[in-house]
Amino acid sequence: MALALMLPAMILAQSFKIKGSDTVLPLSQAEAEAFMKKDPKASIAVTGGGSGVGLAAIISGTTDIAQSSRSMKMDEKLKMQEAGKAFKEVIIAYDALAVIVNPANPISQLTREQLEGIFTGKITNWKEVGGEDAKIVAYSRETSSGTYEFFKEHVLNKKNFGSNALLMPATGAIVQSVSQTKGAIGYVGLAYIDKAVKPLKVSYDKGKTYVVPSVASAMDKTYPITRPLYYYYLSSIEKTVSAYVNYILSPEGQKIVLETGYVPLKK
Amino acid sequence: MKSIKTTLVLLVLLTAPFTGARMSAQIIETPKPDTVYPILEKLQSDVSLFSRLKISGYIQSQFQKADTAGIESFAGGNFPAGIDNRFAVRRGRFKLAYDYAFSQYVLQVDVTEKGVGIKDAYVSFTDPWLQCFAITAGVFDRPFGYEISYSSSSRESPERSRMFQTLFPGERDLGARFTFQPPKTSRFNFIKLDAGLFNGTGPNVVDFDRYKDFISHLSINKTNRSEKVKVGLGVSYYNGGWRQGTKYNYSMNDVTLPAGNIMALTVDSTSSAIGNKLRREYFGADAQVSYDSPLGLTILRGEFITGTQPGVAKSAVSPSAQPVTDAYIRKFNGAYFYLVQNIFQTKYQLVVKYDWFDPNTAVTGNEIGVKVTGSNKATGAYDAKYSTLGIGWVYKWNSQVKITAYYDYVLNETTTNIEDVSTLKDLSNDRHDNVFTLRLQYKF
Repeated sequence: MALALMLPAMILAQSFKIKGSDTVLPLSQAEAEAFMKKDPKASIAVTGGGSGVGLAAIISGTTDIAQSSRSMKMDEKLKMQEAGKAFKEVIIAYDALAVIVNPANPISQLTREQLEGIFTGKITNWKEVGGEDAKIVAYSRETSSGTYEFFKEHVLNKKNFGSNALLMPATGAIVQSVSQTKGAIGYVGLAYIDKAVKPLKVSYDKGKTYVVPSVASAMDKTYPITRPLYYYYLSSIEKTVSAYVNYILSPEGQKIVLETGYVPLKK
Repeated sequence: MKSIKTTLVLLVLLTAPFTGARMSAQIIETPKPDTVYPILEKLQSDVSLFSRLKISGYIQSQFQKADTAGIESFAGGNFPAGIDNRFAVRRGRFKLAYDYAFSQYVLQVDVTEKGVGIKDAYVSFTDPWLQCFAITAGVFDRPFGYEISYSSSSRESPERSRMFQTLFPGERDLGARFTFQPPKTSRFNFIKLDAGLFNGTGPNVVDFDRYKDFISHLSINKTNRSEKVKVGLGVSYYNGGWRQGTKYNYSMNDVTLPAGNIMALTVDSTSSAIGNKLRREYFGADAQVSYDSPLGLTILRGEFITGTQPGVAKSAVSPSAQPVTDAYIRKFNGAYFYLVQNIFQTKYQLVVKYDWFDPNTAVTGNEIGVKVTGSNKATGAYDAKYSTLGIGWVYKWNSQVKITAYYDYVLNETTTNIEDVSTLKDLSNDRHDNVFTLRLQYKF
């Protein structure tokens, strides 16, 4: 009898999984926590692994929402179509992709061309970009990461990372490595920056103007490396996830976006 | 007092070893054997082994209705005499693939009411250094064009186009193939080159001559930055042939008749020609465009093939056994065009396909079947061009189940020279050989 009474409540309770982008992870965790406080019946599990992992999971049916720092590729859309899975794409926030170095590094700004040279392995010493005579240790995300894809496409102009770039499985690992290695350089979402690392100003006009990554410079579009953050979910579970997704898009949810170091959809 | 103290000291000294051991026992914990880690390690090892083996397959059950009983059809095979509808298991595939390091072993069988046959049985090795080069040997898809290697479980129309069924029956062949494709991390990953040597007879048979066929396909695939448009382009080349089994072979040439010049099949009767190679040469081009629009995913595909096909009098189909009748060499062309429109973000697809196959481009219309004299042969029904317009509606219930309703509207070239309205052999009018197919597919 008690179980029968509980059953409707269990069915109505929103319980789902979010998986994918490491960049989006802190935002999803903050939003999920706030949402579950408002709706104690909701149960939302959030894990990382990379945008590619999340999108593969939604194709295979092992997650409800895929969080991604890149848009779904055409091949992934074809796989979804092949599997008969109609899906929705929602932009939940924007993110500025910051290039970080160790705080002891005197370098404070680089051009896109210099960044390309560093991460493709053509520039190997800090003195080549006006710094100290020290070896550059470049850290990158793994290939399943949307951040990796975005950086390769927009900063390296689709060129390959050099064999010298060390591939890290998570954004947190990049922050830790850069903070502990004097000659290190890496790239992370804005929300991951803390006092242990130093963000660089970036120029996309060959050194005429340099812009520091921040929520403000991302919102006014002066910072050049900005990208949307996505949620993907199947149309068939829209009823289950819509309250949560609408919450993120609401003023209250967008306030959390700002507070966690991401860029809200509107000013 | 002194004696009490002494007694106490003696007591402490005598019991110290025991109390010390007990105290040690209280402080030092005896380590317990770790049983969990070895179990986890073994489980991980077992999972790793099993994850190398992939099992997949699909079954296609269908019902078909033809316009007329006993028609010849490329919509899944001819209808026997007196039969205009049928249930069938069109394909029942079971595939095992074992991937380890840079090698792969694949075995695929097809099980239907017609029997069991091998579809794929091959091994493949990729170079571990550059991961650009691969060698494949066994029975596998011939690397020509696009439609051959596009899986029947994914294909939106029930069957491949007539030209592919004629030129490459069974799709597969026995041979070895070299593949060049830079790895996914390379910016040149969009280029792929396949080239190989094959028996030329198709799967499930042994070769009947010493001639090996060269087949190659070069393709590029690119997606635009916004991931909204994907374009694929390819060119293919086939150079092969089969052994002439008799003294005579016929090819199209200009023949002078009292009524005027016509194209007819003229004979080459050189006795030393027995055993010569009858040239089989194809040139192909293919293109695919996928576009993500607000209407849903739109897919356009097209392919064109032209060349020379040696056949027999009543068939242009590539032979799987040494023909015992005279060879007929014809120039041909064929093409198909697909439009696949996903209906917004629903599970429905609209499919429209147009294809044609002209087995003998030297004659058209009433030039077919003109009577000739002497040792020359007249062209016949098997020299007529066929066009097919297919319209279908696909419903994808989930990733396993797909339902297809498809209508093939078949139009043949007509000629007044082949008139026999009482039989299916008539070519003076369009034959009533349209086919409706309702198919249920389960895939795992």
